[in-house]
Amino acid sequence: MSGSYDRALTVFSPDGHLFQVEYASEAVRRGTCAVGVRGKDVVVLGVEKKSVLQLQDPRTVRKVVMLDDHICLAFAGLTADGRVLIDRARVECQSHRLTVEDPVTVEYITRHIATIQQKYTQSGGVRPFGIATLIVGFDPHDTKPKLYQTEPGGIYSEWKANAIGRSSKTVREFLEKNHKDDLSRDDAIKLTVKSLLEVVQTGAKNIEISVMESYGKITSLELSQIEAIVQEIEREKEAEAERKRSRLAATAANQAAMTQRVDPPTQ
Amino acid sequence: MSIMQYNGGSVIAMVGKDCVAIASDLRLGVQSLSIATNFQKIFPVTDRLYLGLPGLASDVATLHERFRLLTNMYTIKEEREIEPETFAQLVSSTLYEKRFGPYFIEPVVAGMQKTPSGGYKPFIAATDLIGCLNFAKDFVVAGTASEKLFGVAEGLWEPDLEAEDLFETISQTLLNAVDRDAFSGWGAVVHVITKDKVVTRKLKGRMD
Amino acid sequence: MEVSFGITGKGYVLVAADTTAAHSVIKVKNDVDKIIELNPHLLMAYSGEPGDTVQFAEYVERNIRLYQIRNSLPLRPPSAASWVRKTLAQSLRSRSPYSVNLLLGGYDTSDYTPHLYWLDYLGTLVEVPFAAHGYGSYFALSLLDRYHDPEASLEEGIETLKRCIAEISKRLVVSPERFKVKVVDKDGVREIEL
Repeated sequence: MSGSYDRALTVFSPDGHLFQVEYASEAVRRGTCAVGVRGKDVVVLGVEKKSVLQLQDPRTVRKVVMLDDHICLAFAGLTADGRVLIDRARVECQSHRLTVEDPVTVEYITRHIATIQQKYTQSGGVRPFGIATLIVGFDPHDTKPKLYQTEPGGIYSEWKANAIGRSSKTVREFLEKNHKDDLSRDDAIKLTVKSLLEVVQTGAKNIEISVMESYGKITSLELSQIEAIVQEIEREKEAEAERKRSRLAATAANQAAMTQRVDPPTQ
Repeated sequence: MSIMQYNGGSVIAMVGKDCVAIASDLRLGVQSLSIATNFQKIFPVTDRLYLGLPGLASDVATLHERFRLLTNMYTIKEEREIEPETFAQLVSSTLYEKRFGPYFIEPVVAGMQKTPSGGYKPFIAATDLIGCLNFAKDFVVAGTASEKLFGVAEGLWEPDLEAEDLFETISQTLLNAVDRDAFSGWGAVVHVITKDKVVTRKLKGRMD
Repeated sequence: MEVSFGITGKGYVLVAADTTAAHSVIKVKNDVDKIIELNPHLLMAYSGEPGDTVQFAEYVERNIRLYQIRNSLPLRPPSAASWVRKTLAQSLRSRSPYSVNLLLGGYDTSDYTPHLYWLDYLGTLVEVPFAAHGYGSYFALSLLDRYHDPEASLEEGIETLKRCIAEISKRLVVSPERFKVKVVDKDGVREIEL
């Protein structure tokens, strides 16, 4: 009888997989996309925002949240699971301040969150959290921006730029191609928006951007600001396409000229 | 000095003709030092039911919050407001739950109880700090001036007082009793409850 | 001999606390800040058992901050006072109660009113126009009965506060030499030099 002993849901499959963890990762892949980009002294979080229903209050739907004065978190996956994990992290941030009189480091809170996620893969009667997180911030007494990722299994890792959620592979490949070290504030924001545009077809109104510039300085971009950036990106793309077109036209013309010059003797 | 006398304060309730009255002083002290002269000890439970909580000020607040929770839960589950007699039993059992580490409060309950015929009859009750109920037909007293309140009430109270006369009687009883008590005073508040309204008045009294 | 005062006036609360850390008859320090800023419009003066005081104050501070982060809204003074009272009342009937007496001063930014609360280690809570803890209360409360004015300007409030301090310096056998004074009003919390 599977009474009181067999509570584990997360058990190995014969070939060494933990299916529950993989299903959790699938839930993440189906969640909305979130991007984090680290610049020289700035770190940007961008998320794909599901458009709210007509009668819904948009303020109650948040995917980027504050954990403490100096740390922000974005997640992809099951929002309900995210809420619980975020609350645990917030309590830990205050608890850490109370016990050691210092704010948490980004690495510390990331490890704390990842540890909770790991526990839910190895305890009885529970299922893993169906979320991946991007955690950004600044360590106390430091000017270097930080970006970490956690996954449902409890893996955590540090990144220069990364994406989680729907089409995160496409976005990550885009970032790999386009990310440079020491991006300025504007360039980092632009790269974030650009990478999100790879997968968000609906444009500015479904993008949310949060910028952290230094310890405790967090700003959320207004829709108009994001729209301006999207337009700028589109102009650049247009110009690039124009250049490409004219280059193509030029080559075509060149070739035509060459064939013409060759042609007369044969006639 | 007992913990029951630490913060001071007194409550009295009286029965009249188709009405009840409940009154208390407004002092909060630490032994003989007065800290505040606006400390509420009587709280409304329903439109026709009031609860007086003289005793340790910390437990006044704790029990007020606790009874608010319990009566709200009762209202939600029963889909009706609690009746005075039921509430008195609730007070009693809540206090007895802490028989060996009690709340230092001697509650007084006053309200108009619904009768099966659809009318209302006056109801008052008091308990000691571990919830021993005392249903009285005339008046109940509690707090640091309780001995004095007994004496004055015994002299002034008479059966079937009309609301206005009951107000006069309970006010005079309270004011004259607390004037002989160092731990009660600094003004008073009186609620006269009838079947369709409650009249609340603040009294100045001797402000020294 | 710890002393703390709180006075409300027109749109502000003034809170003052002595700055001495005493160990039996020895003054160990005379620049201690016993008034903690819980949020931009809330401050709390604490006194009582050394150790308990700071521990409890920081515990309150962190919980108030957590509330603000969770809800993106600060706790208003009456709610903060209720929470602190509940915590002290629960602590009183626990295995190791906190011995902490508090004055909580706040400015409610939603209805523009100042609030001052008197709390003791038993979990007693009362809102008052003026308050004091410690031996200073025996002198200051009667003095404030005479001179307190809820409509007083900040300057007048400070004058009244100075009277209280002068009185305890004169009458208390072991009187503290220095006080830290903070005010909370519509602009938030700030320190005042007397």
